[in-house]
Amino acid sequence: MDALVLLGSFFLLMMVGMPVAYALGLSALVGALWIDLPLDAVMIQLASGVNKFSLLAIPFFVLAGAIMAEGGMARRLVAFAGVLVGFVRGGLSLVNIMASTFFGAISGSSVADTASIGSVLIPEMEKKGYPRAFATAVTVSGSVQAILIPPSHNAVIYSLAAGGTVSIAALFMAGVLPGLLMGLVLAILCLIIARKENYPKGEVIPLKQALKICVEALWGLMTMVIILGGILSGVFTANESASIAVLWAFFVTMFIYRDYRWRDLPKLVHRTVKTVTVVMILIGFAACFGYLMTLMQIPMQVTAFFTGLSDNKYVILGLINLMLLVLGCLMDMSPLILILTPILLPVVKLLGVDPVHFGMIMMVNLGIGLITPPVGTVLFVGAAVSKLKIGVVTKAMAPFFVALFIVLLMVTYIPALSLWLPQTMGL
Amino acid sequence: MTPVEHRAHPLAGALDRLYLLCIWLAGVAIALMSLIIPVGVFMRYVLGFGAQWPEPIAILLMMVFTFVGAAAAYRSGGHIAVTMLVDRLPLALQAGLARLIHLLMLLVCGFVVWYGSRLCLETMGQSVAELPWLPVGVTYLAIPLGALVTGLFVLEHLLAGSQKHRAVVAFGEGS
Repeated sequence: MDALVLLGSFFLLMMVGMPVAYALGLSALVGALWIDLPLDAVMIQLASGVNKFSLLAIPFFVLAGAIMAEGGMARRLVAFAGVLVGFVRGGLSLVNIMASTFFGAISGSSVADTASIGSVLIPEMEKKGYPRAFATAVTVSGSVQAILIPPSHNAVIYSLAAGGTVSIAALFMAGVLPGLLMGLVLAILCLIIARKENYPKGEVIPLKQALKICVEALWGLMTMVIILGGILSGVFTANESASIAVLWAFFVTMFIYRDYRWRDLPKLVHRTVKTVTVVMILIGFAACFGYLMTLMQIPMQVTAFFTGLSDNKYVILGLINLMLLVLGCLMDMSPLILILTPILLPVVKLLGVDPVHFGMIMMVNLGIGLITPPVGTVLFVGAAVSKLKIGVVTKAMAPFFVALFIVLLMVTYIPALSLWLPQTMGL
Repeated sequence: MTPVEHRAHPLAGALDRLYLLCIWLAGVAIALMSLIIPVGVFMRYVLGFGAQWPEPIAILLMMVFTFVGAAAAYRSGGHIAVTMLVDRLPLALQAGLARLIHLLMLLVCGFVVWYGSRLCLETMGQSVAELPWLPVGVTYLAIPLGALVTGLFVLEHLLAGSQKHRAVVAFGEGS
């Protein structure tokens, strides 16, 4: 009954359109009144949910990525990928996928990825004879890589939601192979489609120009080296390397690339505040909600429910995947990570699934959710950038959904994909 | 998209200034955060001694960033909400539900203002472990203040409609 009051009121509030963060807060209050918990206890959770040192990395990672995306980073990464893969048949679609791989190494945001890569490549692809819907579908599905390839602020949110027991460094390294696998599978699909539809070949770029393009892109890609190098070598903590990445991103954009004007900075400030604080306050209210869930022993009940269905971990993982796919279609990624991790982690832990591995399953799964209707933030951004109807883009994405689903199955059922790299590195 | 100035209510100017204050407070907070943490690194590796202050100060700034910034995010319609069901309802019902949500939002803001202020007052006597001069209550101040401003913006939305398309609020969106 407790669970019904808490989860039911949240579901109801969310469905009538209340902002998710405040719906979490209000249902936590309803739950607290229901079990006679003093409301001060809920307040303390809200305060301590944000008053946490480990949280600092999240705004930093988002900001570093945003600064890079504002400057001409996307254009340079596209040029860089063009040097590497542009010359084959369907070259520009491969360039699109690969530029997203690189972009993912700078920012963990699929939205920023789609917006900035899409605005460079969708018009370019259309000019060279690719259908606009196909170009958009490639951009949108390619951007899911950003969630997996480190640094990913969603991995930091997962680590936080898991109660800080899962190391950020391990999660970052775990994302590398699944991210590259996703890029590879999408690239193969693009090659097949390009051959079938006879999409154009690109040109080989002359060596001298190619070198210049590589050097320019490396300035930006250094961000990832700073972040990963700092964390893995133990020189910096996650927070420190994230803050240094912000300064580096700012330095490169303002002094090396110099294509962002100082008088445009207020725009960046407005945009950052409006987007990042939304995630932060969500984390605060989710802490209240999670506290109530723990008090009501909801994670235990859910564990009992799942283990009552089957004791086979592959069956349970399949069921969880199905549930996540459905919820991912309806809701955004960060609230789902915050709400579901404390509920589902005990279930999979009991079955012997590594929390790092489970984190990757969630990332891929909820990443797919970002590009599926009816609620797919990244899909919406892609449709807006290409000025196409969401239905048109969705239709063109059908083969890409299949490809991503194959990746999800591989990540789910081959734990080594996620775990081999962090384990080899001793994380 | 050209933002249209429509239905500017009499208090819009004052609330616009409050909105910009929130944006810039939060903006300065995150800029300082990104400077303070590297200063700590610099002191540890270059000057050879770890400093205690960067961490609590950065957290304090993060509280300001989160709770004050979220108020501005509310006014610009930035908060994540599920609207797919509501969008399919008849218009009259949509308007009714919107009103209900505003009242519920006011309830949440009211809770945070009241209990947040109590939390601040109760913890004014304690001090942050690393910085004895800094009362814990001060680090929580942004919570009730941010909620108070959010509440004002909710009230504005309830009485004068959404402000998110006005130029001041839509600034920086699109490209």
